[in-house]
Amino acid sequence: MLDPIILLQIAWTGIAISSYYVLFTIAFSLALKVMQLWNFAQAGLMALAFYAMFFALNRLALPLPLGIAFGVAVTVIAAVALEVFGLRTLRARRSGNLTFFIFTLIVAEFVAYLLMMIFGTEPQTLFPSILSKVHIVMNIAVSNWDLIAVGTTLACVAALWAFLRFHQDGQFMLAVAENAALAELYGISAKRAYLVTMIIVAIISCAGMYLFGSRSGVFPTTPLELLLVAVIATLLGGMGRIFAAGIAAVALGLIQSFSVLVISSQWQTLVLYAFLFVTIIFFPLGFRLPLWLRKAFKPAA
Amino acid sequence: MEYLLSILVLCSLYVMLSSSFNLIIGYGGLVSVAHPIFFAIGAYVAALSAIHFGLSAVPAVLLGGAVAIVASAAISLPSLRVSGDYLLITSIGFQLGLLQIIKNLEITGGPGGLTNIPSTITGAIRSPAFAAISVVLAAATVLLIRWLMRGPYGRAITAMRDDELAFTALGRNATRIKIVIFALGCGMAGIAGGIYAFFYQYVSPEQFEILQSALILTMVVVGGISTTWGPVVGAVLLLALPQAITFIQMPPNVAGGLQGVLYTLLVLIFMFARPQGIVSAPRTQL
Repeated sequence: MLDPIILLQIAWTGIAISSYYVLFTIAFSLALKVMQLWNFAQAGLMALAFYAMFFALNRLALPLPLGIAFGVAVTVIAAVALEVFGLRTLRARRSGNLTFFIFTLIVAEFVAYLLMMIFGTEPQTLFPSILSKVHIVMNIAVSNWDLIAVGTTLACVAALWAFLRFHQDGQFMLAVAENAALAELYGISAKRAYLVTMIIVAIISCAGMYLFGSRSGVFPTTPLELLLVAVIATLLGGMGRIFAAGIAAVALGLIQSFSVLVISSQWQTLVLYAFLFVTIIFFPLGFRLPLWLRKAFKPAA
Repeated sequence: MEYLLSILVLCSLYVMLSSSFNLIIGYGGLVSVAHPIFFAIGAYVAALSAIHFGLSAVPAVLLGGAVAIVASAAISLPSLRVSGDYLLITSIGFQLGLLQIIKNLEITGGPGGLTNIPSTITGAIRSPAFAAISVVLAAATVLLIRWLMRGPYGRAITAMRDDELAFTALGRNATRIKIVIFALGCGMAGIAGGIYAFFYQYVSPEQFEILQSALILTMVVVGGISTTWGPVVGAVLLLALPQAITFIQMPPNVAGGLQGVLYTLLVLIFMFARPQGIVSAPRTQL
């Protein structure tokens, strides 16, 4: 019989780990919703974000806020360049899905190789030590990193929700996501909506890589593997349902954490790949609660 | 001479890989990046069947190809049932997942790979014989794809790629065609992998990592997607590039990165400056 404290500890660790999964997922899902783009170039932006922060903090020895600001600036500039010089050109040419796939994937690989040349293939962390102070709360170990991770994620999710709900640009993004041609007829600039989307993707990717890089070693190819989790969560949550995808990311984090009870750690990543297949076979349009359950939770009109 | 023959074998194998990948991505319009993993499946299956079951080279290579075909169905059946878009995602997951398994299994030699693959041809004729076999198989692959695409089935493939809705409305089964194309391309990659294993007598997981995906994609895009000879030109040109980098004598991590940067940069340049590639197809629109 397993000790409930151990189960709670695993659950908390799973939630903390899923924080960066959630951030990568909502960024990926947002681009898919607004731009109808499987944005694999996000992995390139994630890698760039991490190494820019790593460079600023470790080589330039900048203080933490400046280091993060440097990382955000570099990533946003790269995202804008990607949209303006790459995606916009392909859209103007009316390129097919295949071209967008190849383009975003190749951009991600290009960035990974470029960073491999500059920073080498050894894993790097943002800080010399990845240990953080631990507090015991109801017999569960809660580290400072856990609190920062969960807090940052909640803040980012809330900010994105508020932006999409209340800010004019956010509302325009949703309009473009629904029907870009119709939105343009109403005077909404799809170009601007896409640009804003890419900027948000860059900022959220940066936040996620800060959390991941302050806890684990990063190789230039790590972001591509991390992005796969975002892809699975996006599929599981249902395409176009940004926040449901975020919840799916939490579920994946928990499943990965609890898998230590049944399989050894070396096979843990395989659980995610298995989930990819299960999702595509059984939940290709996303996981939804049964109708009776949805009705039960639906507020009365 | 030995070195040149070795390059010739490698060139021929990559012609097989890029041409079969072109069948999938170019002619079929199916986006997958997992081609190197089918190359790996062919290599590992051929090597393991020779080591553990004493299978001779020809059946071992054929078995490698057959297992690659079966594995291709594991990706294409679930993903193409839903939508073509899912194939890319499933292929990435399949490649990373299978590499993870190969790296962790004892029978596949773990991250160190397999080293004791038996030599099927020995003596002075070994390299010339492998070179001849590889060149013949590469030519056969290119001609088979050319023949296929010029026939009625090829016209059906093109019609399916260009307008799947209209194709389906005519009562044709697009999913079946996609599964067949994918299986055929992956089977060819598996056979190339088997020959690779017997020639080099060493296979390791790092030879089939994501760099290989970029390399094969580069060969197809730079050479000319949806053309018979484009992938051949691309494979030969791009295999000359690492040889040049070898002569510069850089640290391995820099050389590896530089190679990847050059490959991916070439794809990006060609996508925007010359989307039709070096050898252009009659109607290429990237």
